[in-house]
Amino acid sequence: MADIPLTAAPALGDVNLTFASCVLTERTDIALISVATPHAGYEALAAKIKDVWGLSMPGASASLNAGAMRAIPLAADQMMLAFTPDGGLSETSVQAELTDVAYTTMQTDAWAIIELSGAGATAALERICPLDLDPQTFPNGAAARTMMEHLGALIIRLEADRFLLMSARSSAQSFLHAVETSCRWTAP
Amino acid sequence: MIIKHPLLGPRDAAEFVYLGDANMIKRPEGFGENVEEAMYEHVYLRENPAGEHHELWYHEQGDRSWLVVTRNTLTHEISSVELARDVARRKGRSK
Repeated sequence: MADIPLTAAPALGDVNLTFASCVLTERTDIALISVATPHAGYEALAAKIKDVWGLSMPGASASLNAGAMRAIPLAADQMMLAFTPDGGLSETSVQAELTDVAYTTMQTDAWAIIELSGAGATAALERICPLDLDPQTFPNGAAARTMMEHLGALIIRLEADRFLLMSARSSAQSFLHAVETSCRWTAP
Repeated sequence: MIIKHPLLGPRDAAEFVYLGDANMIKRPEGFGENVEEAMYEHVYLRENPAGEHHELWYHEQGDRSWLVVTRNTLTHEISSVELARDVARRKGRSK
């Protein structure tokens, strides 16, 4: 049998673009596990993630961070766990921890993740994101599922001028084009 | 148009998909007396009020929840937004 070496390739080819007031980078270091709460199983799941990672259940519109683990709300009774695999922490280990208390799906390669940072990040997003990104209504840690340029997207505010943007890997290039174009127009 | 989602706050109407009359929630029993007539009314007949209207909206580009939005069809003013889940439970549906 022919020996064909397979090499993992990032969805956006490790893109890294610098504009006058913002920087757009692909994040390839984040692993994702989506977690659905079983019927009447909220308490058990909450206790488990508290016990294992010191994590609380995220609210409807705010992500929570505890150590290496971030919980991002997706829908009622659904969240995404995002983390950087390291040592004992991997997709397999996270799924194994939650076997009895939740339904999990590995989503690491299903999403393309862009980090947009810099003083001009908010201005660039205001052109394509229908949400109010004012720090009063969308503070640090806030997370929302919305759409940008007709593509479903997840947006998380990490810091005042640092955002994570996630969209489907299958349309990742179109999403990148939308964000990049917006950056060019607002921060040439 | 902005829809005030009960969990997520104000969201652009572009994130939602419109289905129609919220009476769709009240599906009649499939067995018993006059089932055909009740099912015919449920599937085909709709009120078309000039005024307050309860309607189903789906937050497709958001948290995928179904909402019951009470909207005035003359002014587009939205007077209440509830999770369809809560409305159905209030009408005696389980789960």
